[in-house]
Amino acid sequence: MTQTLKAWFSDLPKAVRILIFGLGAVIILLIPRFLTSSYIMGIICRILLYITLAGSLNVINGYTGQFSIGHAGFFAVGCYTTAILSSNYAWDFWFTLPIAGILTAIIGLLVALPTFRMTGIYLSIVTLGFSEIIRLIALNWTGLTGGPLGIKGIPAPQFLGMNIRRAGDYYYIFLLFAVLFLLVTNRVLKSRIGRAWISIREDQQAAQSLGVELVKYKAMNFAYGAFWAGLAGAIYAPYINYVDSNTFTLDEGFNILSMAIIGGMGTLGGPVLGSFVVNILNELLRPVSAYRLVVYGLLIVVMMWIRPQGIIGASDSMLADDRTGADLLERLGLKKRRTA
Amino acid sequence: MDYAISILVNGIVQGSIYALMALGYSVIVGITGLVTFTHGEVMMMGAFASFYVFELFGSNILIGAIGSFIVCGILGIIIYKVCYERFLDAPRHIALICTIGASMIIKNMAQIVFGPNQKPMFGIFENQLIKIGPVQLSVLQLVILAIVVILALGLSLFFSKSKYGISMRAVSQDKTAASLMGLNVNANALLGNVIGCGLAGIAGMLISVYYQAFQATMGGPLGMKAFSASVLGGLTDSRFAALGGLFLGLIENFGIAVSSASFRDIFAFIFLILILIFKPQGFSKKGGIKL
Amino acid sequence: MKVRVISLVLVLAMLLAACTTTGTTTQPTGNETITFGVLAPLTGTNAEYGKGFQVATQMAADEINAAGGVAGRQIKLIVMDSKGDPKESSDLARQLVENQEVMAIIGDFTSSASMADVPIIDEAKITLLSPTASNPDYAGMSDYAFSVMGRQSDEGPFFSTYILGKYMQAKKVGIIYINSDWGLSSFKAVTDQMKVDGIELVAEANYVAGETDFTSVITKVKAANPDTVLILDQGAVAQVVNQIRTSGWTDVRLATLGPGASQQLIDLTKENSEGLITSTPFFFNEDDAPAMAFKKTFTEKAGFEPTVHPVVAYDALYLLVEAIKKIEGPITREAIAKQLATTEYTGLAGPIKFQPAGDVSRKYVIGQVKDGKWVLAAGYDYSTTP
Repeated sequence: MTQTLKAWFSDLPKAVRILIFGLGAVIILLIPRFLTSSYIMGIICRILLYITLAGSLNVINGYTGQFSIGHAGFFAVGCYTTAILSSNYAWDFWFTLPIAGILTAIIGLLVALPTFRMTGIYLSIVTLGFSEIIRLIALNWTGLTGGPLGIKGIPAPQFLGMNIRRAGDYYYIFLLFAVLFLLVTNRVLKSRIGRAWISIREDQQAAQSLGVELVKYKAMNFAYGAFWAGLAGAIYAPYINYVDSNTFTLDEGFNILSMAIIGGMGTLGGPVLGSFVVNILNELLRPVSAYRLVVYGLLIVVMMWIRPQGIIGASDSMLADDRTGADLLERLGLKKRRTA
Repeated sequence: MDYAISILVNGIVQGSIYALMALGYSVIVGITGLVTFTHGEVMMMGAFASFYVFELFGSNILIGAIGSFIVCGILGIIIYKVCYERFLDAPRHIALICTIGASMIIKNMAQIVFGPNQKPMFGIFENQLIKIGPVQLSVLQLVILAIVVILALGLSLFFSKSKYGISMRAVSQDKTAASLMGLNVNANALLGNVIGCGLAGIAGMLISVYYQAFQATMGGPLGMKAFSASVLGGLTDSRFAALGGLFLGLIENFGIAVSSASFRDIFAFIFLILILIFKPQGFSKKGGIKL
Repeated sequence: MKVRVISLVLVLAMLLAACTTTGTTTQPTGNETITFGVLAPLTGTNAEYGKGFQVATQMAADEINAAGGVAGRQIKLIVMDSKGDPKESSDLARQLVENQEVMAIIGDFTSSASMADVPIIDEAKITLLSPTASNPDYAGMSDYAFSVMGRQSDEGPFFSTYILGKYMQAKKVGIIYINSDWGLSSFKAVTDQMKVDGIELVAEANYVAGETDFTSVITKVKAANPDTVLILDQGAVAQVVNQIRTSGWTDVRLATLGPGASQQLIDLTKENSEGLITSTPFFFNEDDAPAMAFKKTFTEKAGFEPTVHPVVAYDALYLLVEAIKKIEGPITREAIAKQLATTEYTGLAGPIKFQPAGDVSRKYVIGQVKDGKWVLAAGYDYSTTP
């Protein structure tokens, strides 16, 4: 589907393409002007936040096939860094951002380094454990993080002397970072580094024999994913105004993971779509709120059965278990059995 | 000195509960070769199953154990059909994610059906204390310890001596080769999963009897502990999984003694990570499965 | 190229988002009803309390409506599931704030969710009345933020001076407490006063929410040989009490601050709680007809016995209605908040009168378990309490 859409789009005359692109950009920038509902702006802000979060997780899981499930830990590190620096030490929001990103990247490296001897599922569990360790440290280190009392009154970012606090204004910050993330990551993935990552995902041994330094590239990958998760946490802290360790439970990690899975891994667009689908679904399912998490669970299972790479995930990769989709269609009699 | 001894005893008792959970876990992982996130939820269902069995047939711990084994065994069949059967030879993360989805479904359905509140479990087992010098144990604690030892040795014998056990081990080690040798991979993996889930059910029952309470949300932390403990056994050997549980209990209790119970899970996870770094295949002689 | 496609998808999806979500927020207009929002964790680990909020507030609304409503208008509740998550809660707060029908919001359960909502309700000048938020900073964050749970800075000193000191005559106290915002502030409030009263704190041990095995915590406290153990928690008191007693430690007196005189606690502990002492603003006393009626209806509707939390949620709605009755002139969000700050009301859980910050000083009595029932502790001269 994406292929045909892409083809259709690139077949258009250049002027039309620029027009569509420009129009799209204008609409996106004007959204807060014609959507005055702060509730809807709140939802859109959340979608944009999760684009960066699920996207950065996808960089790790979808591009090198390392399977991290403790992304909430990285999110927490970034969030606390900005909260502490701007509340306790009165740093300007914009200066806390690079610190939060770099610190989280370093912690990402620390998690990644001991895990190179392990593969697959062991690594998943280590990331999970790490995420809980971060949360428990935040809960217990009262002097730094406020412990169970958390950090309140995180100052709003200033831009041209204006306080950015309302969802309609904060939208631009979330948008800026979501777009920045997509653009930068798009570049990185097309570079030598990105190609090395993908080669590791597809066949680690083959990649190694072709001279890809596994440790180096896996470490870079982890640090890069962690960096953006940290940035997402950093911009989230002043938005929510109050940070405590309850925000970063394992459920939050699974939430981020489910967006990447449902939307699709191994493509840039996957987590973007996943963030839209899951967050909008979340709102649509409110009338049956008790069953919301049941529906998520079902969705995840169904997705694994029919399209393990996600809605628009990378179909031509090891993420897609190409037997499954075909099998199910065969069983349902929708497709003729393939002959050996 | 008395203090140190009571910490040691606490550690062993708690460790035996971890060991109990780890036994079922190691069977599942050993046979299917896939890690599961549903284990905690199965234990929770075991607790609920035994609760209703006690209501219907009276407070007999043996009948309760049979009831929760059957209910959780059936649940094991469903989990196998949903999460494993199709994905035995697919990339491993697919089954893993499937079990995350399945655990969300079970946990939240349980919360809707059984209600969200904590429920008491009383009068199943009389609380009698036995004192040997400074060591003090309750009868139930001794029963749990005994069950762990019997199950660990029994399972180990079953897998090394019996025909079914050997064929299950063959399946766990190499599915293609096993099927070439005429073994039914699917049936063996299913059976392993049913046994593992049934054991989890019994563990769930004993835990709720021991702590005198159970709740729909109790599963999550238990599943993580079961995993941490069985990692020590390379995930597959039930004897080492049981030892891992004991070890975990001791580490946590001594850790808490020098710091605070708020750090409990930090000790558990650091232990887990250290084991994974220095002995990724656990202490099992055969070497665990490659995951 | 890919990026452009993505941005296109982005726009389309955002428009879709806008279309689909606006549909659900519009409410039928009409003057015959007055609407309140309720934020509660109906799913997740705090679901038990969220369900309690839902049932209790609906009970209050039904009763008030049956009695003719308030100012001639029927009460309508919009109950929303926040999962106890600050993100969800603040999104829902935005949704409620935007619905012009909503005159005030009751909720959220956790302090972290309530505190995330404060900037939103502050801007919209709408009341956020949390039955349970106990973070000491919460109520002071805005003129529109209120809490009716009772301040720890009142209950803690009362507990130390009158219960531990005068009533129990405790000399050496060990404290077991939950490491949460509530637990930590209660711990500080109690221990600060204990120093003044000359009661020795011989051991302290804490744990995080979700803990099931307290033996190590108990062993630690037991090693210091206290004559009284005080448990500060709301959810896990029953397990701590059970595990203290079943470990054979029977010669220590137990006291708890947090759960109040809750029947659930006795159900979960049976004879283990015999003699347990607590501070409580109220009792489900058999002589207290309204409280017993509440207990009966609540248990029927919710399927479990009420703790103190649904009771304060129930009171919260009555309190709001009381404030609205007193308003002279049009009923607006601001008028409600203004009136609420000065409204006094005596609910099931005792009298409510807001302090300047927007939280409540409560009066407490001493409750004790006798023969499997909560009773007012005997032989105590209440004229000496403040």
